[in-house]
Amino acid sequence: MSYAYLFKYIIIGDTGVGKSCLLLQFTDKRFQPVHDLTIGVEFGARMISIDGKQIKLQIWDTAGQESFRSITRSYYRGAAGALLVYDITRRDTFNHLTTWLEDARQHSNSNMVIMLIGNKSDLEARRDVKKEEGEAFAREHGLIFMETSAKTAANVEEAFINTAKEIYQKIQDGVFDINNEANGIKIGPQHSPTNPNMPSGGGSAGQSGGCC
Amino acid sequence: MVVASVSQTLLRRFNFFDKEVVKDPETNQVFEKLKDINISSCASGRGQIVIADCEGTVYMINRKFQITAFKAYDIRVSHLYQLKQFNILLTVGEDEEGVNPLIKVWNLDKFEKGIPLCSRICRAIPSNKPTPVTCLTVHENLNWMAVGFENGCVVIFKGDVKSDRHSKTWTVYENQKPITGLAFRPTGKNTILFVATDNCVLSINLSAKDKTTILEQFGCSLGCSLMSDSNQDHQFVIGRQDGVYFYQPDCRGPCVVIEGEKLRLEWFRGYLIIVGKEKPLLKASSSHSLEMHTLTVYDMQNKFVAHTAPYPDVIDVLCEWGSLYVLGGDRKLYQLQEKDTQTKLEMLFKKNNYTLAISLARSQQYDQEGLIDIFTQYGDHLYGKGDHDGAIDQYIKTIGKLEASYVIRKFLDSQRIHNLTKYLQALHKAQMATEEHTTLLLNCYTKLKDVSKLDEFIMTKDREVDFDVETAIKVCRQAGYYEHALFLAEKHAKHEWYLRIQLEKIKDYQKALEYIGNLEFAEADDNLKKYGKMLMSKIPDQTTELLKKLCTDYRPSNRLLVDQSDLDGSVPKIQKASAEEFIHIFVNNSAKLTEFLEYMIKTKPNSPSLLYNTLLELYLHDIVHEGEDIEAKNEKQRRTLDLLQNPDANYDLDQALVLCQMNNFKAGILFLYEKAQLYQQILRYHMEHSENVHVIETCKKFGQHDPQLWVQALSYFAKKEESCKPQLMERNLLPPLLVIETLAHNSTATLSIIKDYIIRRLQLENDQIAEDERLIKQYREDTEKKRKQIEELKTTAKIFQNSKCSICSHPLELPSVHFLCEPHSFHQQCLESYAENDTECPVCLPENRKIMDIIRAQEQSKDLHESFHNQLERSQDGFSVVADYFGRGVFNKVTVITDSNARFSASPPGRNLSSQFS
Repeated sequence: MSYAYLFKYIIIGDTGVGKSCLLLQFTDKRFQPVHDLTIGVEFGARMISIDGKQIKLQIWDTAGQESFRSITRSYYRGAAGALLVYDITRRDTFNHLTTWLEDARQHSNSNMVIMLIGNKSDLEARRDVKKEEGEAFAREHGLIFMETSAKTAANVEEAFINTAKEIYQKIQDGVFDINNEANGIKIGPQHSPTNPNMPSGGGSAGQSGGCC
Repeated sequence: MVVASVSQTLLRRFNFFDKEVVKDPETNQVFEKLKDINISSCASGRGQIVIADCEGTVYMINRKFQITAFKAYDIRVSHLYQLKQFNILLTVGEDEEGVNPLIKVWNLDKFEKGIPLCSRICRAIPSNKPTPVTCLTVHENLNWMAVGFENGCVVIFKGDVKSDRHSKTWTVYENQKPITGLAFRPTGKNTILFVATDNCVLSINLSAKDKTTILEQFGCSLGCSLMSDSNQDHQFVIGRQDGVYFYQPDCRGPCVVIEGEKLRLEWFRGYLIIVGKEKPLLKASSSHSLEMHTLTVYDMQNKFVAHTAPYPDVIDVLCEWGSLYVLGGDRKLYQLQEKDTQTKLEMLFKKNNYTLAISLARSQQYDQEGLIDIFTQYGDHLYGKGDHDGAIDQYIKTIGKLEASYVIRKFLDSQRIHNLTKYLQALHKAQMATEEHTTLLLNCYTKLKDVSKLDEFIMTKDREVDFDVETAIKVCRQAGYYEHALFLAEKHAKHEWYLRIQLEKIKDYQKALEYIGNLEFAEADDNLKKYGKMLMSKIPDQTTELLKKLCTDYRPSNRLLVDQSDLDGSVPKIQKASAEEFIHIFVNNSAKLTEFLEYMIKTKPNSPSLLYNTLLELYLHDIVHEGEDIEAKNEKQRRTLDLLQNPDANYDLDQALVLCQMNNFKAGILFLYEKAQLYQQILRYHMEHSENVHVIETCKKFGQHDPQLWVQALSYFAKKEESCKPQLMERNLLPPLLVIETLAHNSTATLSIIKDYIIRRLQLENDQIAEDERLIKQYREDTEKKRKQIEELKTTAKIFQNSKCSICSHPLELPSVHFLCEPHSFHQQCLESYAENDTECPVCLPENRKIMDIIRAQEQSKDLHESFHNQLERSQDGFSVVADYFGRGVFNKVTVITDSNARFSASPPGRNLSSQFS
């Protein structure tokens, strides 16, 4: 499948907040209640359409465990967007956001679009972090905010697509240098004839299937 | 090392490989033929294991573990590369001292004196600076070869690998650090070479001007990189201290954290094999002098450890003959035989690790039956654990193969009804549900009072129906979910059900009626017959209206007035129900029936008699039960009579009569009698009711149709002693004898009453006789006169004195013709031109002919005895008939031969036969 742009995403956040489930819901449209711990970095891809343009999202789902931080950090580099996820039923995951944000800002390029996501919104009864707190945090740090549920798929699409829209807007505004791949943005093969060496779409799909 | 153990615990561990020391099949002893070989490199493929030593010898081990060897180099062999699709072996070694690597290509299919054919020898030197070769790889299409050197160069050999000809060589990459890994990506449009060095990973697109993409800023050590297979999308894999990294040609892929120092990486059927340094603990316990290594087999797709075991100083890991062979530092071969899928699954089942079993089975392309078996076992396991929700999810996956009753029986407990419902839903979705399943599911819904689900199941429009509609209706109806039942019935045109529910359960008659009104004619007709009675008793007005429509010009009420067929110009087919079939519906509601019937009769004048009969009956009934209100009663009687008198009214006369009689409706009875020409009955009716005036009137009115009336009236009056008899007598219609006889039977009538009458009658008779006699006399005289005339004509001469022609009125001239009749005279000329024949007088001819015709007619009819008898019987005056026949000459056979004149003698009086013959 040809695409106009390829955006690289990274999903970060504490362990168990539902990063892999978000990805699975977005790429495979399914939910797996029991999920193995992510060991290292997994990979998923999906095509979306913004402004009538096909955009391929290449998403790196990282392990949340502290011990893997050194490995996952290297993936921040070259990501155009990041989904910073916390669990609305666990306050500590919210409290760690600052650390994550610092990490992300430090290891990624400064234009990276970061979306703050309060996941598990289906567990309203066990809510520990108010929506307003999330909103406040996002406002304070200049992030986009959204509450999602990987289980019910609520807002999942929106989270990924809104991030892509933001990136797309930044490209339109000339903020991103699209010729520098370190920014996590790539122009599709048909848009840059000098760059025929592209991964096949099938390969990415196979990868996303095997990521869990 | 502690970290390493942490990371390993993150992956589940199984032992899917059986470890075994390879034995020599000949001696059945441990295979030790490699004991004394100073192994430098190993390779495998095409059914053999190839081992090279530092003395320049290459050993080939076949499946039976027989070794053949040949000297490849004078000094040593450093690298081996066995192609997988061709029986071609590449070696790197030295024939001369110093750094002087030579690449040799051996065709293993062609042996000469125990030595395979060496098809190519070339030097491997990048840019004229000799440096040891570190790695070697060949593209399976035999067009590309890449050699990595210690000095950081990668040299590409393009062209047929087997020969020197047309070969092109160039250095594609140069770096400071030694090349540690090279691999061609075997698929894709472009030829991609992955290069790993000590400090970076990169891909080179040989098809696109050697475009180099740096993939990673760190590298790996020698032997720790490989090309994965299609399971991992042919990604390049490197192993590092902290983990294993995957690379696409243009970007990084995922990574898995597997910590520990890695010595070798191998790829075998989707498994990643990592040889790592043994943990110090185990090493200490080992008495062996050799360093211990750990070999771990990872299933990268399903994320688990398939095997892990310590091996002494692993030299290499080889994949051949469907197994893994580990060549240990003790020069022993260890075979790792993968267990078959069933065994693996059973192991997983034992550990209750069904999720993994399922994904494993899937990745091993397990067939559907096998998978379903796993789902079933998993379901059973979860069920046993009390996780019914989870169990049902698994059972749902077995739909289509596993007997549904097996699952249903497990969940029939009311506690599990949620699960059961879910299962049944899935069953329906899979279109595997039977009637019983539908029933059960709906029962579940109703038990759960889950109206929303029920709604979804039933009410969802445009959904394909995956259940038996009738069952669903039945269940809904039983459970009191009438609306659902109605919806279904309406949607699937189960009119009978719809109406039954609407009428019997909901009792919304209005709706039911509307529904009927929307049906097609035949259905509306049927259903109205069935439910009409009930509807009539509840909502008579609307029902009647509908019936009226149905019986006249029916069209489903939801249909447009002008539908397509009308527009097409075709004649719309008007369907009508027969009204008589609906009459019974109106039981107990005569007013509506009356209305209905009146309407019917008005719109369809030629309705069947039953309608009229019924209407009549209703009218009569009405009259009888009408109270004191005379006016209303009159009005009703008038109405009834109108009906009776309506010429179109097609009622059954007899029945109408019986009805009128039963209801004592006089006007009707009389009218009907009259209509049926039962004048006697009219008379009798009047007599019974002693209505003398009417008796007389009847007689007057119908006397000419049936004279008997008079007789009856007479005898009636005679009995009655009333003085109206003279009136009767004066009519002069009855033979006096009959009158007298009639009166004689009556004791009350005295002679005095009829004295005048008799006298008068006698007088009249006498007058008549006298008149008749006079006539006879006159006729006789006439006859006599005629006779004389004839005689005269016969005997005497006749003088014709006419001077004018009777035709042209001109004076007669000769020649002339004279007739004896009047006498008439003619010019012969005139006669010839005027008369048809000249034997008869043209003037008298018409008159004569008339008479002759009469006579002939009489003669003809005289022999028709039957008509005579008929006439005689019918006639009131038989005598005159007989006399008439006499006149026609019934009895005068004789006259035929006698003189024709004799005929006239017998002619009856009153007939004037004054005719002459010429």
